[in-house]
Order: sequence, then C-alpha cells, then structure tokens
Amino acid sequence: MRKQIFLSLALLAAAIAGSRAQAQVAVVANPSIKATQVNKADLRDVFTGASSSLAGTHATPVLLKSGPATSAFLSAYVGKTDAAFLASWRSLVFSGQASMPRSVDSDATVVQFVSSHPGAVGYIAENAPHEGVKVLAVK
Amino acid sequence: MRRIFVPLFALLLAAPAISFAQGLDSLDIQFHGYATQSFLYTNVNNWNTTDSSSGSAAWTEAVVNLTSVPSPKLRVGVQGRYLLLGSTGNTISLDWAQADYKVNEKFGFRVGKVKTPTGLLNETQDIDPAHVWCLLPSSIYAISNRGSILAHFGGVTYGAVPIGEKGGRVDYRGYGGQRVLAATEALFLSLNDLGIGVPNGLTGPMYGGALRYHTPIPGLMVGASEDSEHVQGPITLATFSGTLYGSHFLQPSFFSQYDRKRLLVAGEYTRQALKNTLAFTNGPTIIAPRDQRDWYAMATYKVVNKLMAGTYYSSLMDLAEAQSTSRFQKDWAFSGRFDATPYLYLKAEEHLIDGTYIGFYTSSNPAGLQPRTKMTLLKAGVSF
Repeated sequence: MRKQIFLSLALLAAAIAGSRAQAQVAVVANPSIKATQVNKADLRDVFTGASSSLAGTHATPVLLKSGPATSAFLSAYVGKTDAAFLASWRSLVFSGQASMPRSVDSDATVVQFVSSHPGAVGYIAENAPHEGVKVLAVK
Repeated sequence: MRRIFVPLFALLLAAPAISFAQGLDSLDIQFHGYATQSFLYTNVNNWNTTDSSSGSAAWTEAVVNLTSVPSPKLRVGVQGRYLLLGSTGNTISLDWAQADYKVNEKFGFRVGKVKTPTGLLNETQDIDPAHVWCLLPSSIYAISNRGSILAHFGGVTYGAVPIGEKGGRVDYRGYGGQRVLAATEALFLSLNDLGIGVPNGLTGPMYGGALRYHTPIPGLMVGASEDSEHVQGPITLATFSGTLYGSHFLQPSFFSQYDRKRLLVAGEYTRQALKNTLAFTNGPTIIAPRDQRDWYAMATYKVVNKLMAGTYYSSLMDLAEAQSTSRFQKDWAFSGRFDATPYLYLKAEEHLIDGTYIGFYTSSNPAGLQPRTKMTLLKAGVSF
C-alpha cells in the first residue's frame, strides 16, 4: 500500500513538473504567421531544422541562449536536452544542411527580433512583455 | 566536373557579397567552426598510421565554415578542414562548397561539392561535435575510408512529404555527380601495403538515393539508401603501370533510429559486393573481389545534463577474403562524453577489437599484426 502511495505521488509530481515546464514559456511569432494555434510536431520540426514553414508561412526560429526558459521549451516542445539540441544543429550546420538559428540574450531581444522579422518564431518566459508579437497556442 | 562547379560556386558565393542593395545583416552571414585533439593508445598493433602502441597524439582536426542566406530560399556556404591522422593528412581540404535552393518543403536542391546523403550517418560522420563517439562504427564509417564516400561533385535533391495528418513524414534524397578520390586518401593505404601505388587517385560517376520515414511514433525513423559508384584511375606496381577499374557496384543500406529525450538507439546494415580489376600493361591482371556484410547497433543515454554514455557493437565480414583475422573486424565500444560548457566537450572511449580488416596496416606494424586490439581514446573538442 505504501509503495502504491509513493508511486502515485511520484507520478503526480512528474505530471506537475511536466505541466509547469509547458507553462513556463510562451511561443511567440511575427504577425505574418497567420495561425494562432500550431501543433507540437510542426513547432518541433521548425526548431530542429526539419521544416522551414509553419502554418503555410516561411518560418525562422530564434533561440534564447541557454537558461531555464530554453530548457523548459526544449523539454516541452522539442523533446531534447540543451546539449542534444545543440549537437543536432551542429550536425546540420557542419554538413551544409542548414544555418544555425539566431540565438539572443534576453526575452526582450527575442520579442524585438520576432516583431521585426516576418516569419520569425521564438519563445520567451511566460510573463515577459510581448508587444508587437503574437502568442501562439500549442496543441 | 570539378572545373565547372568550383567557379559556379565562387560566383554564387560572390554574388551576395557584392550586392550593394543588401546589408550584412540581411545576408545572415555566419561563421562556425570546431577543433579536436585526440590521444590514442593501443595495447598492440598501431592503429592507422599512428604510433598508438606507444601512445600517440597524432589525431588533430579543425573545421571552419562560412555560410550566407541572401534570400529565404537560397543558402550558400563553404567548409574547409585541417586533418592530421598519424602520417596521413596534415593538409587543408574542402569539405563542401555549395549553393542550396529550397523551393518549398517538398523540393530543394544543392549543387557544388556536396555531402553524399547515403546511409544513416554518412553526412555527419566527420562532424565530431554531433556525436558521443570518438570513432563511429568502423564496419561502415571507418575514418580511413571516410574521404572516399563523404562528398561528391554534383548535386543533391531533397524534400519532405507528409503522409496524411498523422501518418508521419518521408524525407527523400536523390544525388548524382562525380566521385573524386585524391591520391592521398587513407583508403589507398591497404593497396600501398601490397606495393600498389595510386598516383592520381580515382574518379568516376556516381549516383544514389535515400528515403527516411519518420513514423508517427515520436522519435522513430526507418530508412534505406542505395549508392552506386564506378571509379577508375591509373596505378603502379614495381615497374608496371596500369589502370584500376572499379566495378560498377550498388551498395544498399538499411537503417533505423529511435531518438527520444535521453535515449538514442540506432542500427544499420549494408552490403558491398564488387570486383575491382587491376590491369597492368605488359604485366599481371588482378581481380580483387569484395563481398562485405557490415552492420552495427548502438545506444546512447544522457545520464545527467552534461554527461552522456554509450555503447555499440560493430561487425564487418568480407566473405571474399580467405579465412583469417584480416577477413573480419568486430568491435565493442564504450564511450562517455562530458559537455563542460556549450562550447567545450571531452570524450573518452574504449574499444575491444577482434580482427584487423580495417585501420591496421602492415606498413605501420612491420613486426606483424596481432588478432585482437584494445584501444583507448581521449578527445577534447571546442565548437562555436
């Protein structure tokens, strides 16, 4: 019985941790991206270099330099750790299959870049200001 | 063909640079690179042309690339490499130099000197920062042979086709052009061991294709590729000269990979059956058959945030060779990688190798080859 309670608590904690990871970041896009909602697989494809379009619009990903928001985003939407994500982009860059996405220092810089570049899509801390960009719902 | 593509590429690279209408920012010019330094030790048998049985640091690589995206659909770039491995290399070579035009998700193409997209890892086999391993499975991705299959002069078409709403996605690649094997390729060391020189390297037409099905199961991909080559070139043996005619061979590969969160599992099988003819004027004609069945299975796991561990088993068997330890090679590898920072990593790897088919030469081991070798590798890498 004690084992079952412990297991249930562990599962609950894992579920809460997972939902918190999803809730910590907001996915933001330039208003040129027509959709207000995107699916997780399409978002993952854009951020792993497998696709360069989102909801029918040419999409350019922009990254935050490593930190809690990046870890949360990669864990929730890409399914990779920071190091594995970086390694997969390096394999594309050094084999000539892609250019490295732009990487910036702060939420404000992400918002500034995304708002001024048609097709740009990025992520920021959930509570960060995001004037000039749209927040995409991820299903 | 190289004469056509190099100027073409130079023109494409220069075009955006001289465009007064665009600022540097809009050209998205990027400069990346990495460098690695390795230390090798084998208990017996010198590996490749190193003095590894005494401990050797003679494996250094440095890579730089420059790319530009002058428009959303066009990307041009060039990558150079310095490689020193034992007594081979110590030169700077061109990895790739290409213009890439992506019409849409379903169709794009690259022209120039381009990576050959065959097998599971061919396009990335020389990109050290992308892998946990110091050495990829030698049955298919031996470092001594990689120069022969990494890239070609010509083109690649590529694209991705979704299979319905929830059926996954198929990525395709088709390629063709000319294979150019430089005389300095480590690939020719085994011929040099027999007294055969390849003074001008080998060249010839090649083509192939690959399909990768990204299944609806997250992280699971299955794929297959077919590569066809037909190279030839002048050879020498003592006072004789002649021509090596590589047979027109087809090389099928089948592979799969599961990459999800902390775990990566992958495997690949390939067969290479061919008969090369070495014809010497006023001398012997030698038929050199090969019937290789090669495969590996690998797994890596992210132990903690900065530490990854992995193991693989690699098997190579040439059924056309006489029964001996030089007919096969089986290799257990155990590896660890520590990413100290996003730019600096360290690797350690142990190999238990049975057989001497690949990477072991009599010229590096004049006292003879032992059937089994233990090899330890340490590597430090920086990447930006």
